[in-house]
Amino acid sequence: MSASSESPAASMPGPPRGQLAALLTLVTGAACLLLQDYAPWMVRFPEAWTLPATELVGTGLDAVLSAIKPVMRAWSWLLSYPMSWANAVLVGSPWPLIIGAFTAAGWYIGGFRMASLTFLGFGFVLLSGYWSESMNTLSLVSVSVPLAVLAGGSLGILANEVPRIRAALLATLDAMQTIPTFAYLTPLLLLFGFGPVVGLVASAIYAAPPMARNVILGLERVDPEVKEASIMSGASRWQQLFLVEIPAASQQIMVGVNQCLMASLSMVIIAAVIGGFNDIGWEVLLTMRKAQFGQAFLAGLVIVIFAIVIDRLSGSLALERKRHDRRVTWGLLLSGAVGAALLALTGADTAPEGVFSAAAVAVDDSLGAFTATHGATLDGIKTSAMFYGLLPLRIGLDQAVLPFTWGFQWTPAMSLWLFAIAVLAGLGLAAAGRHMAGAGLVIAVGVVETGIAELPWPFVIVGTMSLAWVAQGTRLAVLSAALLGLVLISGLWDRALLSLYLSGAAVVACVVVGGAIGLLSAVSGIAWIIIRPVCDMLQTIPLFVFLIPTLMFFQIGEFSAFLAICAYAVVPMIRYTRHGLVSTPPEMLEAATSSGATPWQTMTDVRMPYAAPTILLGLNQTILYAFAMLVIAALIGTTGLGQSIYLALGQADVGLGVSAGAAMAILAFVADRLAQGFAEERRKALGL
Amino acid sequence: METGRGRGDTLISMAEQPAISVAGLWQVFGSDAASAFRRAQDEGGSSRDIAGRLEERGYIPAVRDACFEVAEGELFVIMGLSGSGKSTLLRGISRLVEPTAGHVSIEGEDILAASKARMTELRRSRIGMVFQHFGLFPHMSVIDNVAFPLKVGGMGRRERHDKVQCIIEMVGLKGREGAYPRELSGGQRQRVGIARSLAGDCSVWFLDEPFSALDPLIRRQLQDEFLDIRARLNTTIVFITHDIAEALKLADRIAIMRDGEIVQIGTPADIVLHPVDDYVREFARDVVRGRHAKVGSIMRADDDRAANGTPGLRPDMTLEDALATCMAHYEPVAVYDDGGNLLGTVDPQDIASALKADCG
Repeated sequence: MSASSESPAASMPGPPRGQLAALLTLVTGAACLLLQDYAPWMVRFPEAWTLPATELVGTGLDAVLSAIKPVMRAWSWLLSYPMSWANAVLVGSPWPLIIGAFTAAGWYIGGFRMASLTFLGFGFVLLSGYWSESMNTLSLVSVSVPLAVLAGGSLGILANEVPRIRAALLATLDAMQTIPTFAYLTPLLLLFGFGPVVGLVASAIYAAPPMARNVILGLERVDPEVKEASIMSGASRWQQLFLVEIPAASQQIMVGVNQCLMASLSMVIIAAVIGGFNDIGWEVLLTMRKAQFGQAFLAGLVIVIFAIVIDRLSGSLALERKRHDRRVTWGLLLSGAVGAALLALTGADTAPEGVFSAAAVAVDDSLGAFTATHGATLDGIKTSAMFYGLLPLRIGLDQAVLPFTWGFQWTPAMSLWLFAIAVLAGLGLAAAGRHMAGAGLVIAVGVVETGIAELPWPFVIVGTMSLAWVAQGTRLAVLSAALLGLVLISGLWDRALLSLYLSGAAVVACVVVGGAIGLLSAVSGIAWIIIRPVCDMLQTIPLFVFLIPTLMFFQIGEFSAFLAICAYAVVPMIRYTRHGLVSTPPEMLEAATSSGATPWQTMTDVRMPYAAPTILLGLNQTILYAFAMLVIAALIGTTGLGQSIYLALGQADVGLGVSAGAAMAILAFVADRLAQGFAEERRKALGL
Repeated sequence: METGRGRGDTLISMAEQPAISVAGLWQVFGSDAASAFRRAQDEGGSSRDIAGRLEERGYIPAVRDACFEVAEGELFVIMGLSGSGKSTLLRGISRLVEPTAGHVSIEGEDILAASKARMTELRRSRIGMVFQHFGLFPHMSVIDNVAFPLKVGGMGRRERHDKVQCIIEMVGLKGREGAYPRELSGGQRQRVGIARSLAGDCSVWFLDEPFSALDPLIRRQLQDEFLDIRARLNTTIVFITHDIAEALKLADRIAIMRDGEIVQIGTPADIVLHPVDDYVREFARDVVRGRHAKVGSIMRADDDRAANGTPGLRPDMTLEDALATCMAHYEPVAVYDDGGNLLGTVDPQDIASALKADCG
């Protein structure tokens, strides 16, 4: 196939970057296709060329880890004290006292609304029968958050004080957040041994970056005149920082604390996979493994409610304070204490058994009944999604189309016809002046025919380089090629492509569905009123919980993982699309209307182009979310890097865990920079 | 650099030592601006040549070779459009930014050579500063904002609160001590800013467009109060503004800046009556001249024409008033000092032409 030589782009004087890049990608793809029989190394990277990266990393890390192990064990021992204290306080205290104290805190922070939210939330937790498990989780959070706040806060202040290290520090923070959570559980496991300390440390590491980021942002945003005023008042640097700048940035810093809390909670629950602690995450995992979905759902609900209460409570700390009557706070505390005393007197001071267990059983039963009656439908959905969507994307039409799935066998002739039609259509588009669309069409058809997991490696690397070149320039192109090359020679390439395929499929689905929902929310206020709380909730829920409902209906497998990833990653797409569309300046809309544009024309010609940079940022977030969820979804059956990381955790294989984690981080990093580059380019084009 | 004639020069020579003296001050922005400046300077030429060379090389010479002196107790206004470098100049003098080259001394002390600790010391005790957008600490009440310079100086809570009470009363904020900045109006916020800058008993007072963010009525009211405070305290003041009317109303002397250069320094009358170039003339254009120029500025001391002293002109009368008193005269009118001594004459024709000069 020689679409390249006929492409009109080539005949144009000095074709722009985009067309050149598309052309290059096309040529590479075509060359790989044509030469695959003569030079098989062009499709599949020969194993003989790879380095034993996982072993090398493993040996290297083992040496480092065993060197610092004694120090870390000492740390672990040290940390076990505050943990047992927190545990003693939270689990040991009678529940009325805890509920009273939290309700009092709710009142103090946010008045009646927060107090009732806290009371109801904790009440539900109590009645669910998971009180002690929840308190275990909470005690882990209550130790890890101060650690993370302290560490993140000091890093943030350091970056503020020493501008030279700032860029390096921000890059490290990026890495800390893109490296999948499971990946650093493995080395931690080796360092600290099995037990809750690993979860504690992991969650502190995971939760510190948002804190640091917000501290940096907050300090940066302090009004320069406020800083100057403190200098001119004769404050020393120390006084400026602690008497003026940090208090003035307190709102942003509280946003950091909020994010820190949520990240810590999420991680503590995920860390349950290594076990050793009877917390609520473990409960979810256990019941899920036993296929007690009703019970798993209940435990998941406890986590969700916990997350919502903690989020809203700490979130309102970041808002402007209103002063609420102190006496109510004391009253609530006192009533908690009195309740505790009464319970102690009657001798019934343990938390009640779950009152919802009957309900959970009922959910199980009705779920069983539902799957029994609608099993065929569910299976139908699942198999058609697999056969007609996921599978072709993964292994390509040439392998996915079989008599068993599509009812006929794919032949090379069909491929040839498909390519011929695609090239003709592409040329037609190019002739109509839409070169990029034409090239894109041909490339897309090529990808679908071959399958993402089967793509020739030169094509992937050249394609990514071209995209990077268009998005940002030579530097990013070289960087992403080098990083992908690293994955290639590490021998993790096949797994990386599998991960790319699943997250890619999920991202495409999210873009379509999320974009549509975002558009709907932008057009209709009522839709947004309904969708907004759903989005809020989806973003508050710890990743882990997403697995429960998909498992309930679709069992273990790729499709369930796909759904879980979509459910989590669709939110930013919705939010950013809507935000971009509704934030068009009113005078632009008025100008469009007064020029006689219909509402739809205004949407396509004014609002959408204006929203493009924002929507691209949403896409960026969606990609990162999808990668984050991919690893968690490995619990219910994905292939690729996620699975490797999870397996490595089980086998305590540091080399595999860390290198697979790094490969994952590389994919996420490249995707992130690409999307950001395009968003930035659009933003500049619009003069924003 | 052109310097205005008249009262300004005498004022400086009268003082023993200027309270503030600035010489050859440059503020260049860009990476490694100091060596770039030295290179450009070594290549010789006037300050304008140096600045041009720096601009060609991608640097921003925000303040170019600024020289002036401020006498003790003088109110010195620096005026210019936005981007003319006036705020940067003030930040260089107060060392909020480090100047690229030049000398600044305040009350005889070389400010640019002072250590960090010494600067902190000076700011606590001698220098006060007011900001355009007030720069109030959002998390502190009015009294804590005002007492902040004393707090960082190590004074106890009770003592510093007692000490700032009279300042708070002076700026008219009595009764609002417990309020937070967000609960105050713009005018009230700037009163807090003014009070805070005075808390350390400063002898040198910097004000960076203090009234620009306020609406016109409040602005006038605060200007008047500012003049009252000034009369009571006798501090040396450097006042930045972009409003020519404000400059003329408040200043003893005015420095006009354009593109980082001081183009003219002079008394309000000098600026209005003898602008050095079109740029300054443009500024003075909208001004009602009669209100700012004094009789003294157009009086002929050596006039030998017979003058009749009927209207009794004084040299410090504004032209507007002078015109009103000698409307009916066509001959030169005598000007007497307070002791009744004949100083010279003013031709009514001159008053008229001074009032409408440059109008066309």
